[in-house]
Amino acid sequence: MLDVSDLVTAYGKIEALKGVTLNAERGRITCLLGPNGAGKTTLMMSIAGILQPLRGSIRLEGAELRGLTPARIVRRGVALVPENRLVFPQMSVRENLLAGAYQRNDKAEIAADIERMYERFPRLRERREQLAGTLSGGEQQMLAVARALMSRPRVLLMDEPSLGLAPLVVAEIFRIVSELNRDGTTIFLVEQNARMALQVAHHFYLMEQGRVTFSGTPGQLAEDEVIQRAYLGARRAG
Amino acid sequence: MIDFVQNTIDGVMIGSSYALLALGFTLIFGVMRRLNLSYGPSIMIGAYLGTLVHVQFAAGPAVVVAVTVIGAVLAGVYVERLCFAPMATGAGIASMVSSFAIWMQLEQAAILVLPRHTYPFPPLATGAPLTLGPFLLRVDHLMMLTCALALSAGVQLVIYRSRFGLALRAIINNPVAAHLVGINVRAAIIGAFALASAVGGIAGYLVLATDQQVTSMFGMWATFKGLIAMMIGGLGSIPGAILGGLVLGIVEAHSQWYFGPQVRDLFAYVLLFACLVLRPGGLLGEPPPREPAVGRREA
Repeated sequence: MLDVSDLVTAYGKIEALKGVTLNAERGRITCLLGPNGAGKTTLMMSIAGILQPLRGSIRLEGAELRGLTPARIVRRGVALVPENRLVFPQMSVRENLLAGAYQRNDKAEIAADIERMYERFPRLRERREQLAGTLSGGEQQMLAVARALMSRPRVLLMDEPSLGLAPLVVAEIFRIVSELNRDGTTIFLVEQNARMALQVAHHFYLMEQGRVTFSGTPGQLAEDEVIQRAYLGARRAG
Repeated sequence: MIDFVQNTIDGVMIGSSYALLALGFTLIFGVMRRLNLSYGPSIMIGAYLGTLVHVQFAAGPAVVVAVTVIGAVLAGVYVERLCFAPMATGAGIASMVSSFAIWMQLEQAAILVLPRHTYPFPPLATGAPLTLGPFLLRVDHLMMLTCALALSAGVQLVIYRSRFGLALRAIINNPVAAHLVGINVRAAIIGAFALASAVGGIAGYLVLATDQQVTSMFGMWATFKGLIAMMIGGLGSIPGAILGGLVLGIVEAHSQWYFGPQVRDLFAYVLLFACLVLRPGGLLGEPPPREPAVGRREA
């Protein structure tokens, strides 16, 4: 569904992505694991149109996304839950959700979707008039997910949703990820928490130093080795 | 005592024009986190076009106000395209310095078209001032105050109740996240400049109609007054802009009465200085916003 091929993104002269090829299949959870600095966030920001890749392509069901503005990419059906959540801290929970539906014009449907989000995330209903900056980390993560869902994406990108959250909250977030997927959302997830990610993923990729170094299903590689490489990168010979 | 109250009334009236100038300034600063020194001169472009249609075609107040506002909006968007859009991701200082350059450009362009020192501007209201007991109220000043209050309430409504306002607040909160939810950030910023310039254009019209003349010094004057009022009130705060404008007006009115017109501007700067030392964020200033976290880069 989402096909990235040979993508190169650079900061100045330093290539953070050195030709990345991967895809996220419709209706599945695809996971990208890798150590800090591997280029995972760069990849997400490139897909979302915040960063401009130098080469390669990003296709959604065959249609090229590279070169489109972030707003157009959202309209095509790709929404990113960014690393560190990036909720709008001085806006209420409800306004954050409204902003998530910015590309849509169907007022009644937007109101219905906000109601659906409150049903899925009851904590957000309790805090709907509260400023997003006053929420706990876990609540902010739920808000960031709900905000992204408000655009009714065909593919949901999530960049390290477990970052900085307590283990119980992390379990809750992954429960939500599975649930969203069961309801039909295609998910492409970047994670550091390899153990959790492998439990929900249908397919996963390992990324090291700007390149994809493994592609397979959980179980195809011993979990110890995945974790070793996801946290530390591959051991080098010599 | 009567003098004191009368000065305060005059200060509030004049201050309401400062408040409008500060309102435009604070809109741009709130969204961009950058200073637009060309704000006053772009209002002056509108004012010069206004006086041009007044002098050439004997246009009345309605036409003059429309021309002034449209001219200010066009000049404001021109400044955005030239000084802010190309440097959106660069250093803030680059935008400020280039807005200074455009200030000079706009001022010279205005002087080339209308080279005399002063040009007439149609008055808003003529006739005797209203009397309220021992106090005098100029009708045009009252109109200025009414406009300032109505416009600031209108801008507040736009910011907090409209879709455009939602986009602006999202950008102020976190520009990267604003992109991610599908807000066309560039278009919204142009809209913010246009709105700020329209408010500035109305402020400029009100001030000049009260003075009944316009000079090429007006651009600098508007930038200074707007900037000082904004900094007193609090950077990026709409109620702060109104309060800052009124405080500045009142302090000026009293200092002019007690110490004379030459000392008036000195007091304005003393007030600004005191404010920067005692309350650097301004009277109603918000704490500086958090930096967007996405600046972090994976190498």
